[in-house]
Amino acid sequence: MNAVLHRVRSTGPLISRIIAALFGGYALAALSSVAVLALPLSKPQAVLTGMLASFLIYAGAVIWVFAVRSALKAWAGLIIVAVALLPLAWSVS
Amino acid sequence: MTKGRGVKIDDDSQAAGRGIRQSMSSLHTWAALLLGWILYAMFLTGTVSYFKDELSQWMRPELSRLSEIPDQAVVAQRIANELGNTVPGTTQWSIRLPDARNNSAYVFWRTSARNPGQRAFGEGNFDPATGQKVASRDTLGGEFFFRFHFQFHYMPVVWGRWLAGAAAMFMLVAIISGVITHKRIFVDFFTFRWGKRQRSWLDAHNALSVFGLPFHFMITYTGLVTLMALYMPWGENVAFKTPAERQQLTAELSAFIPVGKATGQKVPLASVEDMVRQAQERWGRDNVARVNAVLPGDAAARVAVTRGEAGRVSMSPQYMEFEGATGKLLAVRDHVGPAAETRGVFYALHLGRFSDAVTRWLYFLVSFTGTAMVGTGLVMWTVKRRKNLPEPDRPYFGFRLVERLNIASIAGLSVAMTAFLWGNRLLPPPLEGRADLEINLFFFVWALTLLHALVRPARSAWVEQLWMASVLLFLLPVLNALTTQRPLWHSLVEGDWIFVVMDLMCWTLALLHAVLAMRTARQRAGAPSRRKANRQAPITVASSERAG
Amino acid sequence: MSHLLAFVLCLAGFAALAFAMHRQQREIIGRPLRSITTNVLRLGGACALLCALGVLVAWNGWSLGLVMFSGHTSLNAGIVYCTLLGYARMRE
Repeated sequence: MNAVLHRVRSTGPLISRIIAALFGGYALAALSSVAVLALPLSKPQAVLTGMLASFLIYAGAVIWVFAVRSALKAWAGLIIVAVALLPLAWSVS
Repeated sequence: MTKGRGVKIDDDSQAAGRGIRQSMSSLHTWAALLLGWILYAMFLTGTVSYFKDELSQWMRPELSRLSEIPDQAVVAQRIANELGNTVPGTTQWSIRLPDARNNSAYVFWRTSARNPGQRAFGEGNFDPATGQKVASRDTLGGEFFFRFHFQFHYMPVVWGRWLAGAAAMFMLVAIISGVITHKRIFVDFFTFRWGKRQRSWLDAHNALSVFGLPFHFMITYTGLVTLMALYMPWGENVAFKTPAERQQLTAELSAFIPVGKATGQKVPLASVEDMVRQAQERWGRDNVARVNAVLPGDAAARVAVTRGEAGRVSMSPQYMEFEGATGKLLAVRDHVGPAAETRGVFYALHLGRFSDAVTRWLYFLVSFTGTAMVGTGLVMWTVKRRKNLPEPDRPYFGFRLVERLNIASIAGLSVAMTAFLWGNRLLPPPLEGRADLEINLFFFVWALTLLHALVRPARSAWVEQLWMASVLLFLLPVLNALTTQRPLWHSLVEGDWIFVVMDLMCWTLALLHAVLAMRTARQRAGAPSRRKANRQAPITVASSERAG
Repeated sequence: MSHLLAFVLCLAGFAALAFAMHRQQREIIGRPLRSITTNVLRLGGACALLCALGVLVAWNGWSLGLVMFSGHTSLNAGIVYCTLLGYARMRE
């Protein structure tokens, strides 16, 4: 039992980061591609800008997740940015 | 006191610096390794695709080369007439006109879907001289490698594109983490020390990564951009609710006019030749790319004539829209918004279709470097880890997996791609369904190389497959001479440069593979003694790598 | 034409920049050069690269010129690098 617990404790944070990077990163990029619609641009230009920038945001999120000291910090960073973007995204949908 | 605290902070930031470089190094390795084999295949097929039009010409040897580009207006009319005769009921067709690199016109048209889920269009290559379908062997030509590059095969197109996109994202992360981990990347450039064997893979990988760094980053990012509407549809879905609104966006991206409602009133299409002439006046005699028609033969027909790719680094739509029934010019669209233009530039940078001959070769060479970067990275992983194996003769499963996949994905791919070309020459031209057979042969041979890699000892498998690729490449011009009317001496005399360069490239690549095979064989012979010496070396290597 | 000129300028430029590094000077010439020589090489190298850009842009316009410049610099950095490598290996 202890061995299992130990396993979970040692790989848990890593798995958490992987999930944060793969899915959290994508979600953040998607969210930002919607939030960008709040900018004072014509709709087609805003949509395209959102798409163009999204991959940089995704990559940036992944780098962040693995660069910070703890998995908790990784998630915190993603969530903070998401929370900031959420009202913008809400306002346009 | 302050000095003490100062030292502490330095230690902390240094430790943090080492920490981030360590984590980025691990991230780089994993991001690159997990989909590395797919990335290698994408890179190699992508590299080759810069010359896909030339490859297609080589793969249809019955079609003689065009000594000069035919008048595109006349060709367009011929093909439009042919389409009017053969597929009169179609709602949409598109002709990509012949140009300096294409001796035939590529045409596709809408058909009624026979089964749900099946592709509802027909396609073909048309002879510019007659306007009819070309009389040459049925083959996908260079288009196969191009399509494989971003949507693979044997799977729904959308899945393939998602896989390619995932691989590209992993690549993007690998590039960024690779740069962070090797902070001194530009300072260290030029101060490479080639000598100690264990470092040489790392140094080759670093070198290849650095000189092509602007290209690698650009090609990866722009690759994602080419399919960004698939990967990130959310903004579009939120902003546009109706098809009309969506059309606003589509107009910024391409010259395809939406198929409206047919009036049912039959009116023959006006002179396409005249329409193209107007485009030629505007953009140049040989600078018209496509003619797209919507509802041809109907009163509501529309024709768009698009500008050629030369002279501008952008794929944003520039076209002239005509009323199909009367030939009247309705609009000239040559301007899109800034974000759309940015996307147009990115798309153009990825495809490189604006290139002149020299620039195209530059694209090819630097892209080849990228391929080698991925390849050396994959091989380096096994080289590094082999030294630290507790039991060198029975490595752990992950190591064995990577090692064998490397062989088949790298050396094996060369064998398979060459086999594809062999198939093109060997399969009889009149054979039914030979285009698919060529493709199946490619995958069959690739699968064989995987089997070979699993069955043989690793080093032998590398050497044997590299030699196989070398021999197949070397003999390809010979096969060409035996099976077509266009052997090398004939091409040299005729000034048929595509065929000449193709033969020369085959020999150059054959030489490359032979050199790699010989070096791998030599390394294998020297390995046991070096392994003993290297037992002491890992620590020095690890520390020197961290310092580097 | 512009490509040939740009190629030569980039090659010369990177060679000059490489020689402006003490490491290469020691490897190839045997001793570090005077700082004036080094600075001249550095300046000359940078100028050669800028000239290459100028030639390409003048001939082909900004968009095509910049893309071609990127290709020429990538290729020629690689050539200079591989030459240094080959030289180092030969000396061993």
